Amino acid sequence: MARLNDDAQWIILMGFLVSFSFFFLALVINQSTVVGQTTAESVIEFPKNDIRDVRDVIVRNTTVSNSTEINSDITVISLSRKNAVVYYGWSDGLIIHYNNGVTVFNENWTNI
Amino acid sequence: MINADGQLYTIEGFAAALIMIMTAYLVVNATSVYTAGDTHINDMQLEALGSDALRMMGTPVNTSMNSVDTSPLRTIIEDGDSDTFKTMFLNLTNNRTGLPQNYIERTGSSMDFIQFNASYTCRNKTNNNITETIPFSYSRNMTGGEHTVRATKWVIVKKNICGTTNVDRAVLVEVLLWRD
Repeated sequence: MARLNDDAQWIILMGFLVSFSFFFLALVINQSTVVGQTTAESVIEFPKNDIRDVRDVIVRNTTVSNSTEINSDITVISLSRKNAVVYYGWSDGLIIHYNNGVTVFNENWTNI
Repeated sequence: MINADGQLYTIEGFAAALIMIMTAYLVVNATSVYTAGDTHINDMQLEALGSDALRMMGTPVNTSMNSVDTSPLRTIIEDGDSDTFKTMFLNLTNNRTGLPQNYIERTGSSMDFIQFNASYTCRNKTNNNITETIPFSYSRNMTGGEHTVRATKWVIVKKNICGTTNVDRAVLVEVLLWRD
């Protein structure tokens, strides 16, 4: 009986090694595209400009004469056009609330 | 005498190389199909561009924090000046460097291909506080097939709109942007 020849086992092992490394490389490349997409979607979803804008218009116009009308304008239009609940009023400083169901923003603004 | 013992290893090496090349080809091919323009990176950039442009237009030219807001955007809406809005907005969003000279000579402008459709929304006092959207400027008619993003900006205006006359009201300027 001929003896068992195990000379080629190293080659098989190396083959496994190479195929596994290719597998992980493919995984990395695959994930990289998903990262780009989810990052962009997160940036779009987060209402940075909305919050800045609504806070800017509230702070800038607390001194105008017609502030009750403007208050209602901001509340009603925010709800219908931006799907966001916005409330603000004076109570020991200017209280601003913003909530669009995903992101909540609260601020107590004082002009000091 | 020629020793041919190693030829089997050579053939195996070739086979392994072919397998690796095939794998690399499959990987590169598969991901390039997967990434084809379906990510929202372009949308994000376009939305940021539009928001920045509106923010610049909504900033008073010469003012401090508490003085009266007389931004270009406010003047445009109070006067209903759609041409000025179009010129200013396209200037802010569409100017770019690196266009070929023959394109500039042919079209007479150094503009990019961003189009917009702008409107503003106010709260109607006489109609049970329902909001009313008034279109006021556009660079091209919308066909409905555009892939648009929306940028918005709050503006305080003093104008005869939505049931009040000559008092300060808050309106929301909404701009749809898309690329041709």
